[in-house]
Amino acid sequence: MKKTKLLNSEAKWGYGLVAPTIIGLLILNIWPFIQTLILSFTNAKKFGSYDFVGLTNYVRMFQSTEFWQATWNSIYFCILTVPVGIILALLLAVFLNSKIKGKVVFRAIYFLPMVVAPVAVAMVWKWMFNSNYGIINDVLGLHIDWLTNPHLAIVSCAVVSIWSSVGYDAVLLLSGLQNVPKTLYEAADLDGATKIQQFFHVTLPMVSPTLFMVIIMRLMSSLKVYDIMYMMISESNPALLDTQSLMYLFYRESFVIGSKGYGSAIVVWTVVLIGIVTALQFWGQKKWVNYDV
Amino acid sequence: MNTNEISAEKTAPKLHSVKKSRNSGKIIIYILLGLGAVLMIFPFLWMLLTSFKTNAQAMQVPPTFFPTQWNFDSYAKALESLPFGNLYLNTGLMIVFRVLTTAAFCSMAGFAFAKLKFKGRNLLFSLILIQMMLPSQIFIIPQFQMLASLGLTNTIFALVFPGIVSAFGTFFLRQTYMGIPDELIEAAYLDGANTWQVFTKICFPLTKTALAAISIFTAVFAYTDLMWPLIANTDLNMMTLTSGLSTLNGQFTTNYPVLMAGSLLSMLPMVALYLVFQKQFIEGIAATGGK
Amino acid sequence: MKRLWKTIIVSALVLLTVFAVSGCGTTDENADTGGTTTLTFRIWDTAQKDGMEKIAQAYMEKNPNIKIEVQVTSWDEYWTKLEAGVTSGTAPDIFWMHPNEILEYADAGILADCSSIVDESHYSDNSINLASGSDGTLYGVPKDKDTVGLVYNKELFDAAGVSYPNADWTWDDLTAASEKIYDTTGKYGFMAYADEQLGYWNFVYQAGGYIVDTEAQKAGFEDEATKEALEFYINLQKNDWCPDQNYFAQTSPGDTFFSGNGAMFLEGDWNILSECENNPEMNGKWDVAVLPKCPNPVRGDGRASVSNGLCNATTADGKHKEEAMDFLEFLGSEEAQRIQGESGAAIPAYIGLEQTWVDVFKEKNYDIDVENFIEMFDYAVTSPIDKSRPSWKTAVNAQLLKIYSGSQTYEEGLQNMQDLVDQAMVGY
Repeated sequence: MKKTKLLNSEAKWGYGLVAPTIIGLLILNIWPFIQTLILSFTNAKKFGSYDFVGLTNYVRMFQSTEFWQATWNSIYFCILTVPVGIILALLLAVFLNSKIKGKVVFRAIYFLPMVVAPVAVAMVWKWMFNSNYGIINDVLGLHIDWLTNPHLAIVSCAVVSIWSSVGYDAVLLLSGLQNVPKTLYEAADLDGATKIQQFFHVTLPMVSPTLFMVIIMRLMSSLKVYDIMYMMISESNPALLDTQSLMYLFYRESFVIGSKGYGSAIVVWTVVLIGIVTALQFWGQKKWVNYDV
Repeated sequence: MNTNEISAEKTAPKLHSVKKSRNSGKIIIYILLGLGAVLMIFPFLWMLLTSFKTNAQAMQVPPTFFPTQWNFDSYAKALESLPFGNLYLNTGLMIVFRVLTTAAFCSMAGFAFAKLKFKGRNLLFSLILIQMMLPSQIFIIPQFQMLASLGLTNTIFALVFPGIVSAFGTFFLRQTYMGIPDELIEAAYLDGANTWQVFTKICFPLTKTALAAISIFTAVFAYTDLMWPLIANTDLNMMTLTSGLSTLNGQFTTNYPVLMAGSLLSMLPMVALYLVFQKQFIEGIAATGGK
Repeated sequence: MKRLWKTIIVSALVLLTVFAVSGCGTTDENADTGGTTTLTFRIWDTAQKDGMEKIAQAYMEKNPNIKIEVQVTSWDEYWTKLEAGVTSGTAPDIFWMHPNEILEYADAGILADCSSIVDESHYSDNSINLASGSDGTLYGVPKDKDTVGLVYNKELFDAAGVSYPNADWTWDDLTAASEKIYDTTGKYGFMAYADEQLGYWNFVYQAGGYIVDTEAQKAGFEDEATKEALEFYINLQKNDWCPDQNYFAQTSPGDTFFSGNGAMFLEGDWNILSECENNPEMNGKWDVAVLPKCPNPVRGDGRASVSNGLCNATTADGKHKEEAMDFLEFLGSEEAQRIQGESGAAIPAYIGLEQTWVDVFKEKNYDIDVENFIEMFDYAVTSPIDKSRPSWKTAVNAQLLKIYSGSQTYEEGLQNMQDLVDQAMVGY
């Protein structure tokens, strides 16, 4: 039958076309992760041989208050950044998709942080947040320790994270918005729906697949946050322990202190955490994501 | 579907009031966008102003907004400390190669995952999802060791190496290919096209805007990557702008005028490109949607 | 369309390969072209790059078949990179070693034995110790030695009518002067921050205390003198005239000093030249004194300045070990050490060449009394080193920060520091 022949060649093409990506991923990403997994059961240090120590690292990890603090910090960072960031990005995308003047200028401004290196972003914000010489305290006429107060430092990092990512997310959402057929809005207009009603009944359902993807991405990258904290919260900062994320803790354990085995256990935990959160999202999406477009 | 719901639950208000509320709505939008724009642009402005101050001026209490006298020393120091010409070139080459390889490989894989049936497809696709969950920091040392065993540290290839394939790009393009109607593909098969032709002639051209979007993201990811270029290329002349900048940060710690000058110099080419192409950049994404 | 894309992709891949193979025409670490061997020499201090290049130049003139490339990596990434290089066989041919790390590297068998190329009579015991492994073998060629001095702003002292710090100063003079300067000018006095060599270590040793006792495998945080000194030092931040740790986490004492906002801080000699160069407008307005002494030490005469020193090293199994060892030997020669001193990079470890470094400042017309750094070698204390240090350094620092922030008492913190170090030392 023609159909089976087609299937055979289809499978061949399928394997051929995914081969470069899959082989690349296996070598570049999956293998290093397996190595990390193995290391997490060893007492590996910076150099030299190491022995398998069973679950020692995990036991030590689950007994460490610093570790649980870092876990909470990572989750708290997500709570701080994801909802606010996504809502702002969605609003921005909707505004920029509407018929207003000066759109080009606004777009240029809002998307600007995207093309700036995180190092530069962190440096300028660190400078603005400086409690003694920074412009923010000067303008507000206050003396707030934005970066060294144990309760505030993580919030400050979240602000910077939202500031630099809102453009990204808005671009993605904008591309989703552009896919909404104009006829739907015209029909809604004829029915006399207000803009706000249109947003909830037309825009939101239609853009939900894109929105879902953006949320997943943002959650994953927030749980993995490292760059911004590394640049803004130094080793000498009193708020370090109250701010450091799991990946920052991993960096300090593996590269500064040199306990590779323990550091690897932290990574494995982080991946499990991300896996759980992502699985929850995929499970929850059935309730609100509308693929029926 | 959705439109029906609206018509069902809402009676039409008078045309006049609709118009009025729209105008005031627009004003609110302008105000919000304007306020947001100030917040977005201010850090850049502050970067610029700080870079022209001396360290003593920058640390004046209370701060002065404008430099009392414009000082270019910080730029001289930043230019002296970093080989900006090389950094621009390396960053540019890295971006070009990463974009080309991801565009090619992600399109192929994205098409196959979306439109071809083969055993183990879901299993292989789950690898893509798993990769997206892994923190990139754990790849650095193993990847470096691979690179070192190939003897390719301190090369442009080293910069491109971890970005040859992209899980996110594959994921994103698969979504796009899934949106292409199956009828189109079946019709092509009936016309006697083979799978490669269906991919290159029918499907690939339809993904132009998604491809543009993923190219832009790849470029941005590549440009902002900090740790990898720092580890892979030890020679300052072979680094990228981002990793060079972090070297500057290590050297001048809290000397903000120099750091700000360095930051501005490093963003210059990207921002210039962005401002020139921003229309294509954003409207490219927009154009497909409207079809 | 299809052909266009194909062409683009194919040409991109070809180009990529060409770039990869040719190494973009620049620095392949192992390029041996025309009998020339290229050695890489990695350091972390940009300010010393010129000095190191001058030494390399002098060597290359004598050995035309060797090419030496100096690479600078900032301190934060230096160790990650070196570790990656060592574990993958791409370590630089010659590199700086810090006393914090040398024991771990040496004991893992990574560093080449340098005892045959160093004439120990030219170096102080301090220098030799700092370049040795746990087994007492030299694993590096001593490069430099340093001390810590008290840097002060003359203008602020004049404005407050306080006389400049001198060799008779005690801790009490330090606090009294700080107070007066703050009261009259509103600027900070002595900026005491959570740092080791540039901070509390000096005070601990001046009081007669210690940080670790490697023989007894014990930390010194329970020692009476250590406790007193630490309490004094930590409490300095309770004064209005000293910024708190929150401040220092955001703004370095150096930047505060050179912007005219603070009158005194502890600085190592290795930073002085670049500070002169970076702040020409401050020339003549600041100076350096020996460290004030402890007025009532538990042990000793109250004087100390923590001295550290780097060494140059190579790997035991490097591809160009022979060439690297030859260059290392040159780095330890009087000629190379003299060039180092004359470049102002750092005080040569080689005994008798200290003046070369001092003269640089006179030649460049920097009005600063750097002889004081040399003077302090008379009572310099070797920086506390221990094999387990990398594993407790950050944890001890975290405890210290908790004391500063008030989230634990001084007694609790010290006890925790003691326990942490003791445990780590036993574990090694």
